[in-house]
Amino acid sequence: MPATDIAIVGFAQSPSLRDANPSEVQLLVPVVTQAIEMAGINRREIGFTCAGSCDYLTGGPFAFVSNLEAAGAWPPISESHVEADGAWAMYEAWMRLQEGDIDIALAFGSGKSSPSNPAEVWAQQLDPYYLAPLGVDPISLAGIQARALLDSGKATEEDFAKVVVNSRRNAAANPNAQLKDADTTVEALLAEPYFRTPLRKHDCPPISDGAVAVVMARGDKARELCSRPAWIRGMDHRIEAHQPGVRDLTSSPSTALAARKAGYDGGPLDVVELSGTFSPQELILLDALGLSLDGDTKVNPSGGALAGNPIMAVGLVRIVEAAARIIDGSANRVLAHATGGPLLQQNLVCLMEGE
Amino acid sequence: MSNERCAIIGVGQTNFKKRRDDVSMPGLLREAIDRALEDAELTLRDVDAVVIGKAPDAFEGVVTPEIFLADALGATNKPLLRVHTAGSVGGSTCIVGAHHVIAGIHGTVLAVSWEKQSEGNAQWGLAGGRSGGIGAGGAFAPWMRAYIERSGAPEYIGWMVAVKDRRNAAKNPYAHLKMPDITLEQVKESPMLWDPIRFQESCPSSDGACAVILTNEEGARRSSKPAAWFHGLSVKSELSNFPGRNPVKPQAGVECAHDVYRQAGITNPRSEIDVAELYVPFSWYEPMWLEGHDIAGPGEGWKMVDSGETDLGGNFPVNPSGGVLSTNAIGASGMVRFAEAALQVRGLAGEHQIPGVRTALAQAYGGAANYFAMGVLRTTPPQ
Amino acid sequence: MTDTPKEHMVMEHLVTLTYHERLTENLNRYADNLLEGRIIGAKCPSCGRVFVPSKGYCSLCVVPTTEADEVEVPDTGIVTGFTIVSPVNYYGQKKTEPFVFASVLLDGADTTLGGMDITGVPHSELRSGLRVKAKWKPREERSVEGMSNRGWGGFGDVVESFEVTGEPDADEETYKEHLF
Repeated sequence: MPATDIAIVGFAQSPSLRDANPSEVQLLVPVVTQAIEMAGINRREIGFTCAGSCDYLTGGPFAFVSNLEAAGAWPPISESHVEADGAWAMYEAWMRLQEGDIDIALAFGSGKSSPSNPAEVWAQQLDPYYLAPLGVDPISLAGIQARALLDSGKATEEDFAKVVVNSRRNAAANPNAQLKDADTTVEALLAEPYFRTPLRKHDCPPISDGAVAVVMARGDKARELCSRPAWIRGMDHRIEAHQPGVRDLTSSPSTALAARKAGYDGGPLDVVELSGTFSPQELILLDALGLSLDGDTKVNPSGGALAGNPIMAVGLVRIVEAAARIIDGSANRVLAHATGGPLLQQNLVCLMEGE
Repeated sequence: MSNERCAIIGVGQTNFKKRRDDVSMPGLLREAIDRALEDAELTLRDVDAVVIGKAPDAFEGVVTPEIFLADALGATNKPLLRVHTAGSVGGSTCIVGAHHVIAGIHGTVLAVSWEKQSEGNAQWGLAGGRSGGIGAGGAFAPWMRAYIERSGAPEYIGWMVAVKDRRNAAKNPYAHLKMPDITLEQVKESPMLWDPIRFQESCPSSDGACAVILTNEEGARRSSKPAAWFHGLSVKSELSNFPGRNPVKPQAGVECAHDVYRQAGITNPRSEIDVAELYVPFSWYEPMWLEGHDIAGPGEGWKMVDSGETDLGGNFPVNPSGGVLSTNAIGASGMVRFAEAALQVRGLAGEHQIPGVRTALAQAYGGAANYFAMGVLRTTPPQ
Repeated sequence: MTDTPKEHMVMEHLVTLTYHERLTENLNRYADNLLEGRIIGAKCPSCGRVFVPSKGYCSLCVVPTTEADEVEVPDTGIVTGFTIVSPVNYYGQKKTEPFVFASVLLDGADTTLGGMDITGVPHSELRSGLRVKAKWKPREERSVEGMSNRGWGGFGDVVESFEVTGEPDADEETYKEHLF
């Protein structure tokens, strides 16, 4: 792992909205500007920019070309784009910063799920020869995963409900969250009908629109721009086999591997922000990291992805939420997670500390 | 902290053609990957990370297809990063892969890019499923017209580029359109598609993939074959449409070129570069990029074509592989430029090898000519 | 070329995905005005450039523009670039004869309208610099269907064409930065 010190010094996010009126790029314009203002820099000081978005979510090819306008790409800038969550854009920008010829990088992610039916769109991410023709949708797949988790004896439906209670209650204090309820109880949730057994509606993520941006800086530049930067101690991402049938759906070895590679040694964490978009997935992720809902580590203080799921931004939102708690002094060691593909197939971990 | 030096030590291309219905998407990718690994004398086990690029997912109708391709890419338990920067994506993917090595994050990286347009409807994809599609040529034709008007180039220049690239492609075993006997007359007589672009001055639509193995000095030492070393690499983007934009010579292209020349210590690209693989999907883009990257002065690009300087045997050969005009699996096309530049530097380009190449330039562009990815490769590592 | 003689089985997997997207507020006002035969854009409060249609922000200054920044521009302008397209059977292409695909810079605007038809001059005499004026469709035939939040926004289907006015050509200096 490279020794270079790189930190988050500025960030911003839009609220997670069920149906945002502005276009994707219109959501991004103020978010990118706010992140740059928080870092206290001039746009021209940014040495590299990387964006994350998805054509199929937007419903047209080259959707990212418009998003470039939020970056202020005139005069020309050094820039790239990933067809993935903004967390992977941040990974690329973090990697680029390691080389030492630039001091500041910008990454952002954005997506609007509201124009489409995400369950239909993401069904087209499955193997087009063997899985997609079966018409299986991501929510039913998540139901299969939840059933496997119950059958393994690793969790109960009550545990699923506890995840949702934690999310709704924490989200109550998050102005950017979409679903919040400070008074929710496990009993009330378990009284709800099934949606895809054994999942209830609240076990599934909402449909969300949103955008997020982050500014990173190296070494002394980071210290100059931010009184308490969120230092990135490590970042790594790993992918597993695609076919759900060849994986143990009740575990997430790629999360455990990414965490190890990112330098997470199992030591104490103040905060963990996870992108599990279905409540059982959060339990699987906690297990992979050796954590639990009842431990000393605060789990998803923002409410997590169950409280707002702007796909293509949601992973980077987790990183921003974790970093924010270092920057405001309320935490000293945090871990954030992003995911891609069906059923936690691909996972990214970012470990951050205060100084 | 010092950065690693990065080299291309393996190159693999599929055979490109209109429909590769003999293979699935995973099969197509493996054809390129296996050839690249064989060239690098490595196996998938030696690869630390995979970077993959392609143009819009709508071309094949699969959302982020690398997710289902993870197994075929040999990426399980490894990092897999997907790049998408429009037509320049193959070049960008190679560069993102190289940055993994240069930054010291991974020692050996597989970068692969592809398109299998025959599995979907690419023109539908380009039009976003909307009506009235005119194809990419319609978007670029007005700027080619403007170039011709401003430079005073005779119309046969476009025909010359088409003849040169198609004849070069006949020497490239992987190329899609091979026309060893094509004549200026045939290009001139082909139907006008988007004035001033005729059918034979346009790229085909191909299925195919390209892979490169990128590694550091330690990795390069293990190979018995020569390596192609990065001396410069750069990506630059500008807004696609704004008042004051010069789409004939986009500023992002100028700055991307100057960035790689500076890194490589090149002060006179025309004399210091031995061969160039430039992204030329329509004939006129050859003289436009010669000027757009300050290889030729204003109005001088077409004269380099006219004098035969960009021919296989000329002083500044452009696209000895046959270029995008002969082979265009969109997502792969940018990487093919880097792969072919690497083959030239390594002396492994076969029948279309330019003798004695020490420095090669690779370039890809995309979008509304607002995305650029460029690299300079040499026979020896940078100091 | 050698094609494999073997026939391969082809599996058809047709997918329909439906997207419902409202026009953004700025494009909504632009579309309403087009139906009434008026063209509006937004003047950047920072640099003064006029974007037609409004993007909701200035892409050069990266500052938002609001309804208060919107201005009407005339329906006259200059051809700044063009191609003549021979229709190929690309998806959804209904034209059968070669057609003009031109960029028009409206007077008082800084961005061009793309893909416009130019009439009143034979294809062989079409050139950049020609002065043109919108030939509006009758009110009841105007449509803004197909306008989109993506790309530059579009011009709906509200004019027959831009017709050459016969005025002297504009000087290249006045439009050379507006080729798109």
